[in-house]
Amino acid sequence: MAPTLGYLSLWLSLFFSILQFLISLKNKKLKLINISVHGLLISSLISFFLLMFSYIISDFSILNVFQNSHTTKPLIYKIAGVWGNHEGSMLLWILVLTIFNYFIFKLHNEKNSIFILKALETQALITMGFILFTIFTSNPFERIFPPQENGLGFNPILQDPALAIHPPLLYVGYVGFSAAFSIGIATLTSNEKVPWYNYMKPFVVTAWTFLTIGIALGAVWAYYELGWGGWWFWDPVENASFMPWLLGTALLHSLIVVEKKQSLQTWVLLLSILTFLLSVVGTFLVRSGILTSVHTFALDPSRGMYILAFTFLLATYSLILFGTKSKKYFNNNYFAFFSREGSILINNILIVVVCSTVFLGTIYPLLVETFTSNKISVGEPYYNSTAVLIMIPAILIMGVGPILSWNREEKSKTLKKIFPSVLLTSVMTLLAFSIYQTYSLVGVIGIILSFWIISNNLVLLLKKKAGHSGGMILAHLGIGLLILGITGSSVWQEEKIIRMAINSETKIKEYNIIFKEISEIKGPNYIALRGNFLVYDDSKNIVTKLKPENRFYPVKNNFTTEASIHTNLFRDLYIVLGEGNFKDGWVVKIYYNPLVVWIWIGALVIFLGGIVSTAKNLKKLKSSQ
Amino acid sequence: MKKKLLKFPLIFFLSILLVFFYLLMIDRNPSEIPSALLNKNIPKFEAESLFKDKNFISSKEFGNETTLVNFFATWCKPCLDEHVYIKRFSDEKMIKVIGINYKDNPKKAIQWLKKLGNPYSNVALDKNGRIAIDWGVYGVPETFVVNPEGIIKYRHAGPVTKKIYKKINLIIEDNK
Amino acid sequence: MTTYKILLTNILLFILSVSLVFLVTNNSNSVEPDEILQDQKQEFRARNISKNIRCMVCQNESIDESSAPLAKDLRILIRSKIKEGKKDEEIYKFLTDRYGDFILLKPPFKLSTLALWVLPFLFLIIGVLIVLFHNKKSKKIHYL
Repeated sequence: MAPTLGYLSLWLSLFFSILQFLISLKNKKLKLINISVHGLLISSLISFFLLMFSYIISDFSILNVFQNSHTTKPLIYKIAGVWGNHEGSMLLWILVLTIFNYFIFKLHNEKNSIFILKALETQALITMGFILFTIFTSNPFERIFPPQENGLGFNPILQDPALAIHPPLLYVGYVGFSAAFSIGIATLTSNEKVPWYNYMKPFVVTAWTFLTIGIALGAVWAYYELGWGGWWFWDPVENASFMPWLLGTALLHSLIVVEKKQSLQTWVLLLSILTFLLSVVGTFLVRSGILTSVHTFALDPSRGMYILAFTFLLATYSLILFGTKSKKYFNNNYFAFFSREGSILINNILIVVVCSTVFLGTIYPLLVETFTSNKISVGEPYYNSTAVLIMIPAILIMGVGPILSWNREEKSKTLKKIFPSVLLTSVMTLLAFSIYQTYSLVGVIGIILSFWIISNNLVLLLKKKAGHSGGMILAHLGIGLLILGITGSSVWQEEKIIRMAINSETKIKEYNIIFKEISEIKGPNYIALRGNFLVYDDSKNIVTKLKPENRFYPVKNNFTTEASIHTNLFRDLYIVLGEGNFKDGWVVKIYYNPLVVWIWIGALVIFLGGIVSTAKNLKKLKSSQ
Repeated sequence: MKKKLLKFPLIFFLSILLVFFYLLMIDRNPSEIPSALLNKNIPKFEAESLFKDKNFISSKEFGNETTLVNFFATWCKPCLDEHVYIKRFSDEKMIKVIGINYKDNPKKAIQWLKKLGNPYSNVALDKNGRIAIDWGVYGVPETFVVNPEGIIKYRHAGPVTKKIYKKINLIIEDNK
Repeated sequence: MTTYKILLTNILLFILSVSLVFLVTNNSNSVEPDEILQDQKQEFRARNISKNIRCMVCQNESIDESSAPLAKDLRILIRSKIKEGKKDEEIYKFLTDRYGDFILLKPPFKLSTLALWVLPFLFLIIGVLIVLFHNKKSKKIHYL
């Protein structure tokens, strides 16, 4: 029953999206628009929750549930199973699209009617495209005959709380940019005089905020689950989320300039188009099987062909519009380098360059393969010596930008303004390096950049001058903390790989670690070997007990390692249990990861900043309506 | 100038999509990696032989005729699947096939060949996987076509399927 | 449509077969204790090289991080080459001679990768030039 209804509901969504597209195309009958917007939202909610329901009751007459679930799976992972696979995640994607569609409609009033209808038209087109794609190439409600006794299970490495909520957050991010795209298109096609940038901004801030936390949770998952202390791999799939984030960042900041000075409008329109296009291209790369990646969903060329055709349509439509209609938004305002808008403009350029570099690195292996018979890899070392390098000046400017005033600033006055933060940075850096006497160029640069951002924003906080948004200060502060964590964990990481017998002892930094015992345990859907490690500090006080596990999941016939981690503000102690036996002992990897927790704290602070900023923007929009 | 600049994103984006389109259209396996040894001489090596008392010396085994080199192991399931095709090369097509037994137990290998039939004229034992590394092998099974001059003309990674069997036959024809 | 299906089945079969070979266990650790060299400097070099070498059977992972048997073989091989007194370049060449450029996570600088290495910095220059150009033009408008 549920699958039939869900499938029907999906068709209903298609109907409403077509209705909305046709009605808004003709610019009339507001009542019908109202019906289709709500109908679209409700029908996509129904199909989404019906699939979720089928997962919860383990309805193995549905192929998708059969392939990705199992009765022994904990409830939270049954629910997360809905979006843990390609077909189900498309339903979530559609749902988020229709939610944003609804919010665009909410902006509607008598004055902006034509403009909002234009935006709804594009949003309906996008929604329609994705619903068609889902129905014809990736139907999550496909039945299986006869219904199966039990499911095939779910890759245990994906059974992690961070990863369970990672996709919904990420999709709010990706799809949120669709609203910016639609508003951008509406701006290009309509001749209405409306404050389009005020409409666009809350969507961009929301999307950006959720994308940030979504990416961060992906990193958390990698750190806790993959078992070697890393959290970012420059994998194509990660890049696919990082590129829209970068462009979204640029978009967010140049929108501020548009708001304040009406300049950069063409640029913002281009960014709003490209950000969403990159989200779609990312989806294409991940789901077409054109690239191989650890996270690749399913290899299916016909899906790839469909998304490619759809991307082609969107790109041609939007970029032709941009090429022909954007001239009217062009202006020749002068940008003083020592000014707020000057710093934003330069950083925009740098961010776009970084984004292009990441894009280049992601698709270059494909280009080489196409034009030569060779095959190459582009991995972390490449990005470290290009993209990361270009980020350094951007971060320097990011620190000072908010301190500068709009329009023009005298150089001497600027110097005076940044003096406190320069002083603070130097003091903090000297202090840090007198405590941790380890020197490496990368470490010094990273720490200085981090303290530079932190002290500039602390100064802003203390000054409490009007005109600085709290959200901005928080988000920037978060970036500073994030850089601190990244630098600490990547430059000063220490590791020890040894074979340990029961009751043997080892030392890492100031900690003594005793391998006390190993025992067999039984989890809900796995069995595991669990090591018990006692950690003592210098003065022989016990710090913690660490219990890494080696799990075996019988359903998927799969092994995973569960790292055990003790976190404080200064370092993580990270233990992974490897293979072994009672005679020779077990392979044990111990990592001393300095400052890792600041990566997560930083991301959280950025997220909070984003939330504050979203709230503020919404309030502003409401009062202007 | 400015007008043209505004069209640039369109041109750029569409050309990227064109590349994607091309890659989707061609019959391509994204995880296949071309061999670095293509059109190069085979790596020289010496190893124990599975059947003979004498050592396997590569320079004595190759040359004069087109030869297939097949890396296999008894613990590898796909090797079992492709065995029927490897046998067809030696039995039906009269091609010389040299086996390289990768990280395996020789006794098991002999049993395996007794049971399934032996297509190999000689089998070298690659106990620690060093020979495989010299051939750029990244997993068993892998199959190479070596021409009479001792030059590698083709490499297939993964099991030989019906389609690959046909393809290898064509390549052998070309290199006779 | 049928060609797609054939292609799809082939890809799936391939993945299945390859994964059967390599994913027998995935819970052994990457670098193992018995591999580590006594000489700290040599070990450091070995780790450095390993981080730049791609694990051929896993995607986007260096052999330093990977638990695949081939990755382990290569790590041991790299260490034995270091002990023999081989230079880093010689070791990289040894590996690319056998596995091609694909094995390098940092692509070499050559004609086919020229764009990869040059474009980011070219983008940067173009970006800066655009701003300068824009400003120069608008300045004139300001003062006229």
